[in-house]
Amino acid sequence: MNGLAFDPLLPWPVIGALAVLALLVALWSVWQGLRGWLWRGAAGLAVAAALAGPALESGIRNKLSDIVILLDDRSASQSLPGRAAQTDAAVDELTRQLTALPDTEIRRITVADDPDGTLTGAALTRALAAEPQGRVAGVIAVTDGLAHDASMVPATAPAPVHVLLTGQETDWDRRLVIEEAPAYGLIGQPVTIRLRIEDQGAVPDSVAQTPARLRIMLDGEETRSLDLPPGVTLDLPVVPKHAGQNVVSISFQAPQADVPELTDRNNAAAVQIQGVRDRLRVLLVSGAPHPGERTWRNLLKSDANVDLIHFTILRPPDKMDAIPVEELSLIAFPTQELFMQRIRDFDLIIFDRYRVRGILLPQYYDNIRRYVEEGGAILVSAGPEMSSVESLNLSPLGAILPARPTGRIYDQPFLPRLTEEGSRHPVTSDLPGAPVEGAERSWGRWLRMSEVIPGPRAQVVLSGADDAPLLLLGRVGKGRVAMLTSDQVWLWGRGFEGGGPQLELLRRIAHWSMKEPDLEEEALLADVGPGLAVTITRRTMDVSAGPVRITHPDGKSEEIPLTEAGPGRFTAHWTAPGPGLYRLAEGEIERVLALGPAAPLEFEETVASGAALGPLAEATRGGVLRLSEGVPALRTVREGRPAHGQGIDRPWIAITPREAASVSGMTHRPLLPGWAWLVLIAGLAISGWLAEGRGRLRGSA
Amino acid sequence: MRPRLLFSLLILWVTAVSAQEEPDPRLVRAADEVALAYVITGDAEVDAASEAGLRGLSQVLTARTTVEPGEPIGIDPDRDDLSLLTFLYWPVTGTQAPPSPQAYVRLNHFLRSGGMILFDTRDGDIAGLGGPDGTAALQALAAPLDIPPLAPVPQDHVLTRSFYLLRNFPGRYLDSDVWAEAPPAGAEAAEGAPFRNLNDGVSPVLIGGNAWAEAWAVDDNGLPMFSVGAGFEGERQREMAYRFGVNLIMYVLTGNYKSDQVHVPALLDRLREEEEVVQ
Repeated sequence: MNGLAFDPLLPWPVIGALAVLALLVALWSVWQGLRGWLWRGAAGLAVAAALAGPALESGIRNKLSDIVILLDDRSASQSLPGRAAQTDAAVDELTRQLTALPDTEIRRITVADDPDGTLTGAALTRALAAEPQGRVAGVIAVTDGLAHDASMVPATAPAPVHVLLTGQETDWDRRLVIEEAPAYGLIGQPVTIRLRIEDQGAVPDSVAQTPARLRIMLDGEETRSLDLPPGVTLDLPVVPKHAGQNVVSISFQAPQADVPELTDRNNAAAVQIQGVRDRLRVLLVSGAPHPGERTWRNLLKSDANVDLIHFTILRPPDKMDAIPVEELSLIAFPTQELFMQRIRDFDLIIFDRYRVRGILLPQYYDNIRRYVEEGGAILVSAGPEMSSVESLNLSPLGAILPARPTGRIYDQPFLPRLTEEGSRHPVTSDLPGAPVEGAERSWGRWLRMSEVIPGPRAQVVLSGADDAPLLLLGRVGKGRVAMLTSDQVWLWGRGFEGGGPQLELLRRIAHWSMKEPDLEEEALLADVGPGLAVTITRRTMDVSAGPVRITHPDGKSEEIPLTEAGPGRFTAHWTAPGPGLYRLAEGEIERVLALGPAAPLEFEETVASGAALGPLAEATRGGVLRLSEGVPALRTVREGRPAHGQGIDRPWIAITPREAASVSGMTHRPLLPGWAWLVLIAGLAISGWLAEGRGRLRGSA
Repeated sequence: MRPRLLFSLLILWVTAVSAQEEPDPRLVRAADEVALAYVITGDAEVDAASEAGLRGLSQVLTARTTVEPGEPIGIDPDRDDLSLLTFLYWPVTGTQAPPSPQAYVRLNHFLRSGGMILFDTRDGDIAGLGGPDGTAALQALAAPLDIPPLAPVPQDHVLTRSFYLLRNFPGRYLDSDVWAEAPPAGAEAAEGAPFRNLNDGVSPVLIGGNAWAEAWAVDDNGLPMFSVGAGFEGERQREMAYRFGVNLIMYVLTGNYKSDQVHVPALLDRLREEEEVVQ
């Protein structure tokens, strides 16, 4: 910080002109042959120099200490046997050695678990950014090297970066790698999970290349097991069985060897596949155009999940006029195709005020019955024709309908009400504005319904006039049948006497028929909240529900009592102790709940490796060393020298002292005081005068 | 004095409540039987024509289709609850007093919830000639209604194929345009229009001037009450008027059913054949 500074007394051009004048005078003197030319010139230049005001400047310096960043990794993968002790020992030893060095400060950085894994790279970047670049003398990371943010590792550092790896030379691990797993899958359509077994580290010969026996479970039920050699990619087909969460758990036993593998926590994975239904195909058959028909159309056509195929009998076979067919817009009802060939394409068939008028042959009805028994669904929305001779109940379909008509029609206004069962059934429970005892009437009334006698297994969820059944739900074989004994639900849509939740009711009836999981009567639901908090809801038609038995991933089980939260709803709040696969069971209902990531991120890879931090160490001439070979000795080297090596007894690593200093002030001192300049100039002038004068004297002698 | 007043108020209140409790049996019948309804204008001649016209149309529907409406009923929008109705025929006269604001609230709810009104200015013979026609009266009646933007019914409208294939919509008169909700300019337009999404794209109003009720009208003996055109051509026009009526009621009840994709291929074939015949 020392230097020469000028503080000119006159503007620079004047000083320059003076200097030039002095040179000219010297040159003129040379030409004239004057012997004092050198002195004259020097005197002129000295005047110019004195006017330029030269001064000495110097700074006041304070030496700064060196900083060594000591990073220790305390993530979950460092908790594997032996690693924590190794880390403690190394950190203690290095701290001792570093404190012994003069003018050296230690910055301790501890990397803990993050939901995104071990973020060593980000921690390093942050630590380096927080320190002055000129003081960082070294970085020492005590870690297993398994950083989950390799891209965040800085490319270089101002000082050597040393990586001291925990773990042993003999560490090895066999793990399950899920390469690709779909988050969604269509129910009944196979989806592919791509996986492989990977061996890492020093795999013992007895294990290497021996296949692992995979066990594959879908929702807690073992579906298959197979042998898979390591390194081979397997495309595993899985068929989601139901809507909502399908949990596929894949696992294998830890292989037997003299040195056990590091951990068996990465030997299993739970893949959650959200089962979604393909677009639902609904066949709506209207027996005649009527005001409620557009209600069905509005509902089904506005439902993005539904493909509606609609047929209306616009002209019955017994009404003919002489109008030629090319002036008619009518097409034949493709009954053979719909009810024989394509019937299994439909998820639901709605008979909307359909009357049996000889359009459908008896074998079609038989086929519809078979279709329902094999898992299909029909919904009968019946008008007064149900009480007539044209009733669907008198067709072969009658055998599976949940009620049979008496022939009586209630022609009086009535208010639909939830029955005891209806208040618990998901199709009707919580319908907005449901009438309650003693309250003002909230729903509008309907004006007509047919009287029916419910079948023994039918659930009556809505009742109408004289508490006669209005909405009945039933199950036949694997299929479902719903029956609405009035056609006047459209009055709710029109707002008659205030109307009612017509679209919501019809939507729920239709989707219950199509086995929408949200509308199942018996269900065990689990909502995973923030963290591992779970709200368990048991929906049932029973009046009570027992405790839920929860089986933990380690096989331990506990029972959680449920409290009634409403008709047919029992809930409990529960927090899982940790991520993993839990099995919930109440009564006959069971479900599997996967909490947390598919496999714990920290245990995906466990064999210590310098792969993530190695490039940085290399770029800074630092070393990647194994702690299993002993804690290295610490030295200091000059910048730019190799910073690690092998000593006599153990390896060494080095830091580079940076000689950093701060400047706390500045002094400004003129080169010569004014009187010295005067003496100098006068001396030079006199010398010139003496030189020339003496010559003249000598010449005259 | 005071107890008597209270007593009479109580009686009034009881009758008011019971009137609300028991729906009008005529309207209950309309809901049960899909009865066609017309607005009573106060002009006896027009009202008689409306009733006879709807009766004639009901008879044609019963004879030819699965829709079997009951006796038509006259509606006073000021008094009657419209929520039990589906279709309202509204002949426009110059003399009708506009309904009350409460009636318009009910009419708007009726339109929004899927009902349909056919306004008939009955002036197809004179409209557009510059003389007095029904336009002013219609504007006065319909201004307070929430009617979407209208456009003449295009050739591909579902009304042209909801039962019969039609090219125009004649009544007693032939040539006036029929207006329905304008087709949306694009998907964006469909977002904004309230009726389109609510009711499967079915127009809540139709407006025309072809005096349909007069073409449909039959007397007690089943004979036409008004002359339509002349001779054989006239009878053909009356038949077409009935066909329009059938299509109209099918459109009211089934909405855009005939626009469903399943029908399109068969109907396209038929239309193509017809074109070939015409050429």
